[in-house]
Amino acid sequence: MTAAPAKGGPAAPPAQQGAPPPRPPRGGGLTIAGWLRWGWRQLTSMRTALILLFLLALAAVPGSIIPQEGIDPAAVSQYYQAHPTLAPVLDRLGLFSVFGAPWFAAIYLLLFLSLAGCVLPRTVRLAGSARQQPPRAPRHLTRLPMAARYQTAMSPDDALASAAALLKGQRFRLRTGDGWVSAEKGYLREVGNLIFHLALLALLASVGLGGIFGYKANRLLISGQTFANTVTDLDQFRPGRLVTPGDLQPFTMSMTSFQARYVTSGPQRGQPITYAASVRYSAQPGAQDRSYLLRVNAPLKVDGVRVFLIGHGYAPVFKVTDGTGHVVFDQPVPFVPVEQNGLTSEGVIKVPDAEPDQLGFAGVFLPTAVDVGGQLASGFPAPLLPRVSLVSYAGNLGLDSGPAQSVYELSTAHLKALPVAPRPLAPGDSITLPGHRGTLTFTGYRQWISLAITYDPGQVPALLSAILAIAGLLLSFAVRRRRVFVRAAPVPGSTVPGSTVPGSTVVTVGGLARSDAAGGFETEFAELAGQLRRAQDGQAPAAAAPGPADDAVLRNDTLVLDDTELDAAAQAADDADDAADPGPAGGPGGSDPADPGPGAAASPDTESAEAHGPRHVPSAGE
Amino acid sequence: MLRLPRLARVAAVAGLAAAGAGLLAGCGGGAIGQDDPASNGKSFVSGSYATTVYPAAGRPRSPDVTGTSLTGEKISLSGYHGNVLVMNFWGSWCSPCRSEAPSLAALARRYGPAGVRFLGVDIRDNPPAAAAFDRKFRIGYPSLNDPGGTVALAFQSTVPPAGIPTTLVIDRTGHVAARIVGQVSYTTLGKLIRTVLGRPG
Repeated sequence: MTAAPAKGGPAAPPAQQGAPPPRPPRGGGLTIAGWLRWGWRQLTSMRTALILLFLLALAAVPGSIIPQEGIDPAAVSQYYQAHPTLAPVLDRLGLFSVFGAPWFAAIYLLLFLSLAGCVLPRTVRLAGSARQQPPRAPRHLTRLPMAARYQTAMSPDDALASAAALLKGQRFRLRTGDGWVSAEKGYLREVGNLIFHLALLALLASVGLGGIFGYKANRLLISGQTFANTVTDLDQFRPGRLVTPGDLQPFTMSMTSFQARYVTSGPQRGQPITYAASVRYSAQPGAQDRSYLLRVNAPLKVDGVRVFLIGHGYAPVFKVTDGTGHVVFDQPVPFVPVEQNGLTSEGVIKVPDAEPDQLGFAGVFLPTAVDVGGQLASGFPAPLLPRVSLVSYAGNLGLDSGPAQSVYELSTAHLKALPVAPRPLAPGDSITLPGHRGTLTFTGYRQWISLAITYDPGQVPALLSAILAIAGLLLSFAVRRRRVFVRAAPVPGSTVPGSTVPGSTVVTVGGLARSDAAGGFETEFAELAGQLRRAQDGQAPAAAAPGPADDAVLRNDTLVLDDTELDAAAQAADDADDAADPGPAGGPGGSDPADPGPGAAASPDTESAEAHGPRHVPSAGE
Repeated sequence: MLRLPRLARVAAVAGLAAAGAGLLAGCGGGAIGQDDPASNGKSFVSGSYATTVYPAAGRPRSPDVTGTSLTGEKISLSGYHGNVLVMNFWGSWCSPCRSEAPSLAALARRYGPAGVRFLGVDIRDNPPAAAAFDRKFRIGYPSLNDPGGTVALAFQSTVPPAGIPTTLVIDRTGHVAARIVGQVSYTTLGKLIRTVLGRPG
């Protein structure tokens, strides 16, 4: 935001003018429309926008502290296990899905409204401002922050024509009148401002675009497995408003291997160094198979979709033969890490089609099993000594009816634990289940990776808008809008107007930078005044030597003046000139009592250095 | 899971970038299948129970898919032309699939003589578990083994299966007449089959 106090035009609502927002009048008389208007002003005020922006940033904080469903659902289940009482409360507050929570949406939508309500009218005003004519020249140019005066032999009309030509040559926008030339430069500032505001709107629209046409999904992929980017093959799918299952980009992807390297010694022992997964993918059915090394922060980009590697773990492989001698289960089962130092992982195995009873197992996988005081733990995340420890159940898994179950949870309500002596299984070891219920064999393990799949068509437009917004902002900061006014009049007492006698015309030059935050206009003005003078002297070689009457006034106090004050000065001068002139839009009006008002105007004939406002430092020439 | 600071940043940025997405999508209650709070990491997208019936003139053409059945036979959808085909996407691990399995098995037996064929598509599953499922529910019809999701992908541009289970009724000319997302009931599917057979009521 340019954060400039909103400079309303004459029609600007009072809420935009300054700090204290007006209260709605109390008591009777205020209509519903009045309340609505008041509410709208409050909402679209810069202050509200800033508060909302701050709230949005604050609201995003829990999203980076608490695991997010949309980014890493496995971490959320882990959190549930670690904080069984706190987790449901957080879930109710929407803290596992911050960016989808209603309160977050409320902040975002209010901010959107506030910005749009603020930016759109402003854009219209800026567009008007960029096309504006320079204002009429004020009568008393010496009151301006910068002024110079000299005499020339040229007639007033010739002097003005020469000034106009010189200023036009320097790409000033000109306006002429009776005895004056008014010139303004730096409209690019408004263009930059306009670009910034439009880009800001485009940025918001782009983010919305992603929300409408984009989607996010998650998938856990075990090495050797393939998945297709279809709803049925995803673990989680969060579509945008207008995304249907048929819109998903039809790629397929498989994982061939996963490599992880860990620190093997020192205090950082067990910390990950690198992760990489070798994957193969095909952009659409029948397209060529390609391979890619998927790493953290190196997502695979396929068909506009980005696939991130966000987690990994182990999937021990189990083979279950039931009481009838059939192999009823033979597959890897993903276990979810519950701690990071040794990647101790938990998981459940459900064998719903075993006979005579359904079988269920809850287990722990230890990549590097170590004995810590009689308790088994994992000492290192790499699979140096993999062991599995299981609790066996038989009965009803609750899978044949009722709601969909989590594959990571075993509902033990209708199961009974089987009396199997607990003993860690090494790859190849089996458990024989009592009651002729069969056997389970831990045949080995595989690695899995979890993938975050995101499609956001608003991303590129959002980036471009952000770049444009910054470029516009820089432009509006770098370019100053500045005005130069020239008045030429016969020297008082000169009886023959337009006489060629040297010194017969007094030329006054005034300068005003509307937004001279960076300074530098003094130098430019001094140069310009010098050029004007030389141009006019050059045609009158007999010009008088500079004298006391030839007072060049260059003030140094402009650096401390802000935009508003300068505008006020210009406006005041304008008002003095012609009360009927609407003046430059953007000025807060001449009602400021501190301004030298129209009453302070001296008669044109007595225009002199003495007419300087009291707040100006007298120049060296005086 | 990977506790790398850079990753956290990426996740945060991705999260912020997708904030709008989350918001607008989130207004609708988030992901499909988030019906119960304990479903964190349920790890599959269950259907949102919807039946779509296509009018005879506007039935999308079913793609021709070729694959291998759980028992190793080669099966091609074009081989079913001339018959009404009921195609069911399922997995032995999916509870609504288990709930609807008896109805499907019974309907297959009832409408078999009328020329209605049934074909399962076993997704995200392993043959031993799938075979045990078929034994248990006495499923008499074959299933394509589709661990990589390619059959579902073939339907992506016409009638994408929008959850597990999804059931399609395909008419004699190979056009999709109806799609049921979520668990089917004996009566609903029976009615749809009779409609496509041209014997309503």
